[in-house]
Amino acid sequence: MAIDFTGRAALRLVPSTAEEACPSQWFCGHCGAPPPNNETPAPPARVCGECGLGLLLEARGDVAPKPEDPFLIVDGSLHVCAMSASSESLLAVAETDVINRPVTELLTPADAEASGPESLAGAIMHAAGGEDEVRRLMVRPANVFGVRMPLRVGACGPPRAALIVLED
Amino acid sequence: MRYLKTSEAAALLNVSPNTLRAWERRFGFPRPQRSPGRHRLYTHGEIAALRDALLDGLSISSAVSRAREGLGADTNALVGALNAFDQARADNAIEGALALRSLDRTVQEVLLNSLDEVARRHGTESVQWAFAARWGNSWLRRAQRLVTPGMQSSATIVLGDATRDELDPDAAYVRALELLAMRAGARVLGLSVRGVANMSEALATHRPDGVVIAGGALSDDTVARWAYAVRLATGPLPVSVYRRGPQRTRVRTTGATMLPGTPGEAARQMIELVSHPVTSITTGTSPARLAADGA
Repeated sequence: MAIDFTGRAALRLVPSTAEEACPSQWFCGHCGAPPPNNETPAPPARVCGECGLGLLLEARGDVAPKPEDPFLIVDGSLHVCAMSASSESLLAVAETDVINRPVTELLTPADAEASGPESLAGAIMHAAGGEDEVRRLMVRPANVFGVRMPLRVGACGPPRAALIVLED
Repeated sequence: MRYLKTSEAAALLNVSPNTLRAWERRFGFPRPQRSPGRHRLYTHGEIAALRDALLDGLSISSAVSRAREGLGADTNALVGALNAFDQARADNAIEGALALRSLDRTVQEVLLNSLDEVARRHGTESVQWAFAARWGNSWLRRAQRLVTPGMQSSATIVLGDATRDELDPDAAYVRALELLAMRAGARVLGLSVRGVANMSEALATHRPDGVVIAGGALSDDTVARWAYAVRLATGPLPVSVYRRGPQRTRVRTTGATMLPGTPGEAARQMIELVSHPVTSITTGTSPARLAADGA
């Protein structure tokens, strides 16, 4: 509320200090396809109707992968919980072989000196902890040198986890 | 034990029957049994465990892994009881496993795996193995006594037991093979290969359709003498050989069919073999001869 010089009280719109809400998006944890009509799935019906091999998860629109994007879902203890079909081909591993394995067996920070929130582990733990911010990092496949891949890390769920999308 | 048809299991998981079959191909879980008409039958416990894991899972893979871990708890409980020499707890653990699986799968996935684990941890010379092997063999014998004989037996099989004794790691597998073959409808006459005298008396009553030699602890001469006595009493019959999984690669057979290492599959193949004999008939005057490398 503001008071003008005439002495009358008047309501005035002031800019909000809150961050702009980013729309969220559902996607399949295996093929990346959105649910039909982008509808929120009922909790007991989260299996992707498109491929039948992944569960539908929610993430911010600017983090969520597009269908066919390579991505991984990692929990707060840095273990791989899901892997998309395209990241299976990109990293030459099968999802069933890497489930519950540490993500560092697949991806290593390109900058070994990086620490704090800039490190891969830090970014994953922040995202899995529910932090809304999207982080961008550079990584390389473990045991492969000379290949650098940019990625973005953000929160997804339910349950809460980190979504790592490997970018072109 | 409650079984679900594919449509019922799919409805419980809120997926289509095709998705359920796709999971079976990709993850090997849930693993159905087959009805006599070859339709899939899922155990309720397995589907319920998967449904619970899916509710708060991040992927089908991780849900499958959690559901499997839950089911694997029965093996851990049995191994713990056997290591503690606690017969009552071992009986309870296997009863618990039977609540979630069929008898066939309980034997193969829980009982035999637990015995293997005890042998791996302590060795077959240990007192833990002596207790576990005795308990396992006695449980399998009790289960055999409870099998209801089928109205129409599909086949009669003579099973030559070539295991050393109860402490032979093959013994429980041979008992399991006998049990699962009986449950699949076969009449099984189990005989130690050490006994050869008066063979015709035993076989005249049973008129076997096939012979299985199971286990590999006894010498080739002993086994060959027994096989020859059987052949003299019955004439040429299909002969097959059974060894538990890991030992199969070290076995050479002459004129005999090697059965798969898992007792369930071996029982099925054994019955199929004697029902439709093709090439594995013992011929000529020489009996089927077995030789184990290094034996």
